[in-house]
Amino acid sequence: MADAEEGAASVGEPLDLVRLCLDEIVFVKLRGDRELKGRLHAYDSHCNLVLGDVEETIYVVDEDDEEEETVRTVKKQSEMLFVRGDSVVLISPQAPS
Amino acid sequence: MLFFSFFKTLVDHEVTVELKNDISIRGTLKSVDQFLNIKLDDISVVDEVKYPHMSSCKNVFIRGSVVRYIHLPAAAVDTALLEDATRREAAQASARAKQS
Amino acid sequence: MENGENTARDPSGFLSQIIGAPVTVKLNSGMVYKGLLQSVDGYMNIALEQTKEIVNGKVHRDYGDAFVRGNNGMAHLPYN
Repeated sequence: MADAEEGAASVGEPLDLVRLCLDEIVFVKLRGDRELKGRLHAYDSHCNLVLGDVEETIYVVDEDDEEEETVRTVKKQSEMLFVRGDSVVLISPQAPS
Repeated sequence: MLFFSFFKTLVDHEVTVELKNDISIRGTLKSVDQFLNIKLDDISVVDEVKYPHMSSCKNVFIRGSVVRYIHLPAAAVDTALLEDATRREAAQASARAKQS
Repeated sequence: MENGENTARDPSGFLSQIIGAPVTVKLNSGMVYKGLLQSVDGYMNIALEQTKEIVNGKVHRDYGDAFVRGNNGMAHLPYN
């Protein structure tokens, strides 16, 4: 790492990580306690995405009369899904353990 | 431009748009612009009981920024073509970043 | 990496000097990610390696690599 600028260029840019995920299963974390798992078919610099065979998990917090919070998960399937980039928080190549 | 071009190929297909306020609207994609604003025709609201206030509309314009998801017909999407176009766009974007 | 006086004055310059270093990334939502900094770009998108997602002080999940979108309002802190 002789030169800071050159060093940064040689490791590439963060979106290269996403490019390497094309046609692979990715895990995507979204705003509003939502997660997606599906095959990545497209992305752009705004993090707009197209995913195939997607499973969406939504974490819903229920509050009962005694103010006890329980987290409920809702799962939804979609065969082909466009995701607007402004909702995206994190993209990871493999399903988290 | 990638997604603008992509959505132009889906004009006249049936899509379901899920908004950030959780309303889902199903309809025929009629047009799209560079901001991914969209026009839908012959719409129906997916959860009519929960969201009855749109049943009088036949077609709508949706500002791109309020969209969370658009559910697409898988049969209308050529995934190999889309992945190639994504790689091309990524190469262009990083070339532009290096120039500046 | 040890020199404080040679650090670039703009944030991205600083971040590109600490590539490879362990960092903590705190999002507006309160979510915390710890990992090795792989890369940063002009939008402050970042790529991390060996990432741990921490919720309420506990490790919630492990990711191999993770891309974190820039505009989630975050602080990058050195990690110890």
